[in-house]
Amino acid sequence: MSVYNVNYLLRELLRDHAFRAAMKKNPAEALKNCDITDEERKLLLAGDVGGLHRLGVNDFLMGYLPRFEICGLNPKIYGERISKEAPRAK
Amino acid sequence: MAEIVGALGVPHTPFFPFFVERDGPDCETARYFAALRAELEALKPDVLLMFDTDHLNTFFFDNLPIFAIGVTDSFTGACDEVRATPIYTIKSHPALAAHVHGACVAAGYDPAVSQNFAVDHSVIVPLHFLTPQMQFPVIPFWISGHVPPLPSARRCYELGRAVRRAIESFPESLRVVTMGSGSISLEVWGPRLKIGFGDGVPDPDWVTRVCGLLEKGDIETLIKESTPEKFQATGNVAGELLNWIAMLGTIDAGPAKSVQPQMPNGHAYAVWS
Repeated sequence: MSVYNVNYLLRELLRDHAFRAAMKKNPAEALKNCDITDEERKLLLAGDVGGLHRLGVNDFLMGYLPRFEICGLNPKIYGERISKEAPRAK
Repeated sequence: MAEIVGALGVPHTPFFPFFVERDGPDCETARYFAALRAELEALKPDVLLMFDTDHLNTFFFDNLPIFAIGVTDSFTGACDEVRATPIYTIKSHPALAAHVHGACVAAGYDPAVSQNFAVDHSVIVPLHFLTPQMQFPVIPFWISGHVPPLPSARRCYELGRAVRRAIESFPESLRVVTMGSGSISLEVWGPRLKIGFGDGVPDPDWVTRVCGLLEKGDIETLIKESTPEKFQATGNVAGELLNWIAMLGTIDAGPAKSVQPQMPNGHAYAVWS
């Protein structure tokens, strides 16, 4: 259930302003002690929201990355990447 | 005895307060909310009960109820940094909320209960426009409309009917207005967004279809067509329509008094009185 931890840290971008600032400044350092897999870490640091989407990470929570311009994402770059993915089944 | 005197369907786009502050009282969103505010004030409510879908702010994947009700003296929000709004403190009506909770459990709906919570934009944005003085007690009733599996439209409608029976059996004389908060067709940060924006409207025809059914009062067809497949096709937050459907159950809805779609945003403003 590691995806839970990715979803959790994404929500922390909204709730924990110190973590948000750390992720804006140096995401690799900020994620160093987070309990996520190597693959999840790699996708996050690359701003690969398509890959995270395919892993099952929540789209709404991923929106905090472009909203706060973290991991090289803004709404345009995020949109270009996520729009290549298939919508998630209900 | 308490009674339901009217119902509203509202959107809750989190950017609306900022847009209205920027664009002024004559912009479309301001005018649509102002019309609804006049309707609400004419209903002279004592309490509002709002069906709403939380966006993983009040609840999270560690504990994510299908249905939940807030039973508290007051609560705060928005807890998700909504621009151009203060952090409001909103009084509630814990006696009525506890009564509705108990009646819903007795009727087989088993909502979770929260006595200590903050709410996100989905509750605050409509209230910001409709009751900026926060003069009415508000009872939030959450329905899981984003994270599958969603409850069925039929169950949400019947839940609304159970809420109505609960309110009508509350001994205090109260005028209650129910609300459904949410979009009809909307994708938020998912693959069908409009590039450069946080959202998009995957199926404008569904918005038109829903608004037409609401105008006619054909709620049975709306329930039958509001399937998991339809929600899948119309956006990753399209299940917010379940909040409207529960609201419709509280009034055994006939034709709406008014329905105003807002097509670029995939939602509508509506009133029953």
